[in-house]
Amino acid sequence: MSRLAMLIDESICMGCRGCQVACKQWNDLPGEETVQRGSYENPPDLSPTTWTRVKFTELVQGDSLQWLFLTQGCFHCGHPACVEVCPTGALKQDPSLGIVTIERELCNGCGYCTQFCPFGIPRLDTDLLSGEGKAFKCNFCQDRVTNGLSPACVKTCPAGAFKFGERDEMLVKAHARVEQLKQAGFPNANLYGENEMGGLGRLYVLKERPSVYGLPENPQYPIMANLWQDVVQPLGTVAFGAAALAMLGFYFVARRNIKMEEVE
Amino acid sequence: MIGDKMSKVEQADEAGVVRIKWIPKYSAMERVFHWGHTVTYFALALTGMILFFPFLQPIAQGESGWLIRLTHRASAIAYGAFPLVYVILEPRRAWMSLKSVFKVSRYDIDWVKGMVPYYMFGRHEAMAPQDRFNTGEKLNAAVIILGSVVFAVTGLIMWFGKGILPIGVFQTMVLLHDIAMIVTVCMFIVHFYLAVLHPLMWAGLVSMRFGVTSAAYAQEHHALWYYGPEKAREIYEAQKAEQAAGEESTTG
Repeated sequence: MSRLAMLIDESICMGCRGCQVACKQWNDLPGEETVQRGSYENPPDLSPTTWTRVKFTELVQGDSLQWLFLTQGCFHCGHPACVEVCPTGALKQDPSLGIVTIERELCNGCGYCTQFCPFGIPRLDTDLLSGEGKAFKCNFCQDRVTNGLSPACVKTCPAGAFKFGERDEMLVKAHARVEQLKQAGFPNANLYGENEMGGLGRLYVLKERPSVYGLPENPQYPIMANLWQDVVQPLGTVAFGAAALAMLGFYFVARRNIKMEEVE
Repeated sequence: MIGDKMSKVEQADEAGVVRIKWIPKYSAMERVFHWGHTVTYFALALTGMILFFPFLQPIAQGESGWLIRLTHRASAIAYGAFPLVYVILEPRRAWMSLKSVFKVSRYDIDWVKGMVPYYMFGRHEAMAPQDRFNTGEKLNAAVIILGSVVFAVTGLIMWFGKGILPIGVFQTMVLLHDIAMIVTVCMFIVHFYLAVLHPLMWAGLVSMRFGVTSAAYAQEHHALWYYGPEKAREIYEAQKAEQAAGEESTTG
């Protein structure tokens, strides 16, 4: 199989949050106690037990109001920083499907994935003092997908905003839809995720610029991860070896040259 | 030669027993600090390595990985507590030690010049006079002190600032923590070699274990500390003159 993607047409989404519920149901995640914050948006953010969430944005332009919806979740990047920085190998990218998953038994709760994801998707459920816990995020319903089903959020969407399948097909559909939207009076319509971070596995058709939805316009692979993994770690290893070898060399030189009988 | 200087304070009595005059060098607190720091530094370095070396991945996973992370945090508290206890219990000594660690003089440059002949070939003629710590010990202490400050600041930010501070801050802290680790581990390797493995360097280990050093060793290796600056300088000048004369006579 080739790389999979889900295409979410945010111009079709009606903000019913069925995907949120289906995600919790399939992944057996508990609900969260929430408070009225003056918005239909609930809970307020992604969390260790909320892997998919509809974000509500009210865009006021002159007299008109646009209510924008964005189904948040893991982007399943083509070049995922979380997988690179994970020291346990718990975060994996499926080589054929391209989806990014966390193997819970392997995760030690270090939280590097939460701090290197340019979208801030993985969430950590750890004790502040002891650090005990794990990281959580959308796993693209790996169990469903590998058995020929579509992810729970895709399956449940009553509006038909989700499309799911091979990534190349999704891109073709997305471009067509963007063109359609542009002609229908949404000049800012765009496709998000075609090339970002190695191409995303979660593609959005947006009515407005990504920043209006709170998405980074140009997400970048964190340079610190490159510096750390490609420069500092190999340099450190070389430095340890060099220091140890030099001391060993000095030891033999000193042994040869220093006559202990004369010293004592 | 090194042995000659012994005659000044240590004389064999009739029975041939060498009487060594021991003088105090490190307080009990200083030794507890040093060895406590050694043990916790080891624990920190070993537990920290699991997130650094990819080949240690199997033990970084799951429950064992968490226990290692917990050990790292517990050791970090002890590592930070030792210097604090030292400063609280012996503030004057701590201040004196700190000042002498960061005091750099012309003698340090001379010492560095004499380092290779001494450590590689055992030649000790006219080494620059040293204070309670010699240049190498000062360099080690300075690197460890500054490294520990970086460890503490970056470590606390990573521990308590995760999720509160912007991710760029956390990423920078990871990088700085690693760099401090690399620098101090290299320093530690050199320190371990000179303190434990080097054939000439047994005296420092004895001092760190028992807190004392022989007067003869102090005269020769820590003249600035033993004699004070003026007399140390006089002796150093005299040694240099003697050495220059000796070289002239051999070449001429």
